[in-house]
Amino acid sequence: MITIDNLNLHYDKTSSYNTGKNIGKKKASTQVIFDLSLTINEGEKVAIIGPSGAGKSSLLHHLYGSLQGRAALCSQRQGLVDNLSIYHNVFMGALARHHWLYNLINLIKPFKQNLNDITALCQQLELDQPLEKKVDKLSGGQRQRVALARALYQQQEIFIGDEPFSALDPLMTSRLLETVLAQHNSVIMVMHDRELAMTAFDRVIALDKGRLVLDSKQQSINLQQITQLFQTSAVA
Amino acid sequence: MPQLQPMKNTDYPLGYWQKVTLSIWLIALVILPFADIEIVNFDPFLELSLMTQGLMAPDFFATEYLFQAIIQTVNFAIIGVCLGLILGAPLALIYQHPIVSGCCSFLRAIHEIFWALLFLQVFGLSPMTGILAIAIPFAATFARVFHDIINQSSDRPLESIDSRADIISRYTYGKIAQVLPQLMAYTRYRFECALRSSAVLGFIGMPTLGFYMETAFKQGNYNEGAALLMIFVAIIGTIRYWCPPKLLGVYLVIACVTLVEIPAVDSSLLVRFISQDILPPAFANAASFAEVQWYSLYTWFSDIITGQAIPGAIATITLALLALAATHFITLNAHALASKHLCPVPLTWLGQLMLLIGRCVPEYILAFIFLMLLGPSMLPAIIALAIHNGCVIAYLAVRQNNAIAPQQMQISKFNQFNYHIMPSIYPNIMALMFYRFEIIVRETAVFGILGIMTLGFYIDSSFSEIRYSNALVLITCTALLNVVIDIFSRRLLKLPQTSLASC
Repeated sequence: MITIDNLNLHYDKTSSYNTGKNIGKKKASTQVIFDLSLTINEGEKVAIIGPSGAGKSSLLHHLYGSLQGRAALCSQRQGLVDNLSIYHNVFMGALARHHWLYNLINLIKPFKQNLNDITALCQQLELDQPLEKKVDKLSGGQRQRVALARALYQQQEIFIGDEPFSALDPLMTSRLLETVLAQHNSVIMVMHDRELAMTAFDRVIALDKGRLVLDSKQQSINLQQITQLFQTSAVA
Repeated sequence: MPQLQPMKNTDYPLGYWQKVTLSIWLIALVILPFADIEIVNFDPFLELSLMTQGLMAPDFFATEYLFQAIIQTVNFAIIGVCLGLILGAPLALIYQHPIVSGCCSFLRAIHEIFWALLFLQVFGLSPMTGILAIAIPFAATFARVFHDIINQSSDRPLESIDSRADIISRYTYGKIAQVLPQLMAYTRYRFECALRSSAVLGFIGMPTLGFYMETAFKQGNYNEGAALLMIFVAIIGTIRYWCPPKLLGVYLVIACVTLVEIPAVDSSLLVRFISQDILPPAFANAASFAEVQWYSLYTWFSDIITGQAIPGAIATITLALLALAATHFITLNAHALASKHLCPVPLTWLGQLMLLIGRCVPEYILAFIFLMLLGPSMLPAIIALAIHNGCVIAYLAVRQNNAIAPQQMQISKFNQFNYHIMPSIYPNIMALMFYRFEIIVRETAVFGILGIMTLGFYIDSSFSEIRYSNALVLITCTALLNVVIDIFSRRLLKLPQTSLASC
């Protein structure tokens, strides 16, 4: 599906993603990914783990960029439009499937078909809020599920997620993860929960300081190794 | 552990905004001796007492066509704003193109009254004159401000939208939906401005409230004038009750129906205006291009520039700079009076009412009133500009500072105001002031029509001497002056904006 060879990413190169942190420092570019080579095959469910600042999000956004048009992204930054309702935020996932005129009319008067679809989707994601509610009135966990619903509503074969469950409780996380895995052929996801990453995914990749340090496809890895990785990183 | 540096000096450098404030006042003090600010009127107190009497006993039934005047004032404003939106909103999307932004800033720099004076020559006292005079500069303003507002919206939603979606869908859902409330709020504010402009167009003969106001004040019917002024303030102060955004469409239809009849445009007049009246005399008198007397064209042009444009521009800038300092003074005082962080609540209502009146009455009308009181000099203009702009800025600042939660500290209201509220909003006040400076310059130029020797004075005289070509050159000079000042004040604001974003 995708192969990357000796990838090097810099702050300024990784689209707008990392530039926000860089304001005022005047450092033109800081390298975040070093000589990373990786192949992900069709149908794989890959979890990316690693300590903060390891370059996970940068790698993920790079992968999303190369898979444009085939993948749905559920970003950590959500990118919800606060002035729009839950319904319209989720509908944004379907913009590519309709003519612009249809989309504009839908903005004023929602279509029945979409309303039904999105109601069902929200129920599946345990989001029991009225669809006309503005998303700025929602809690962190609810917002995260709206972003997730939008990504699912894109109905792509590949799902790319950047800690899409970080604000949810563990039980709900595993239920929703199941839904996401079941609805997509391939999944690439940055995971916060190491144990869940080990149990629910086919393959686990660990990053540290911008380098690929563990890959369950090449070697068998266990939780101990990963815990060690996080500890050494924390000391250094 | 890093060693503590021994204290070298205890100088505390001035902050950026302190320097800006000091320079505004320093400049004002330096140019003050050159400005003409004497009180010419022999007995301003007699006039003042007459006006106060009029204000005490307003006569609401003195104006014959009052209802018609109100309707026409509102009609011009509504149709003008709608036309401005239709023309300006699409331009906002391509505003980053230098040609578009250049043209817009030029169109914007010409005041509604100057537009009206131009259209008056072609359409006469037709509603077309009033509507176009509002719509054109407003379209250019909408283009710029909408562009700025849309640019402030985040790009993050776009990231998550499928890149195969068409650009219209992506843009409306991902960008415009984010800032729709701001766009609506700005449109409402511009509607208020349009009502003011519409009223002011009465001063050059359009059948709006300003026409009756001017007549009443000039004839000394202060009872009638005060009543008209009160009606006008009430109309603007209650916009949100009688014109909710949902009803705008309904009002537009009503406005189109009740508009006074548009007389047919005399096309020969238009042709004559374009092909002869606005051409320099050297061109207009020549039968063919070969006969053009280039030397007379040159002397004509240099006479206008040295005799009218330059002295007019100097007076305009002098007046605008003095008005800026005065505006600063009024803003700080008016803002303090209406701030709930400083004054007890009942007093802030009084302050709010003052701000409402100050911001509703157009500076042109204020200047006109002060001119009657104090006689023709720069003083009435400075006072009028300071009151109007000071109240507008103070109104916005009060709205902002009422949203600030008071510190959980045991300090007096006065200290709280100076140490918490003022530092939080002062940069914003200054930013607004520099934004208003562009408006002050525009208005200053227009005050010439009232007899103050700014650029507008020379433009108005050219129109009354039927020298349209001279007027056109002078209007262009005025517009260029505004564009230059706009660029300059934007440069000045660039620095603090980046520093604001980083803290």
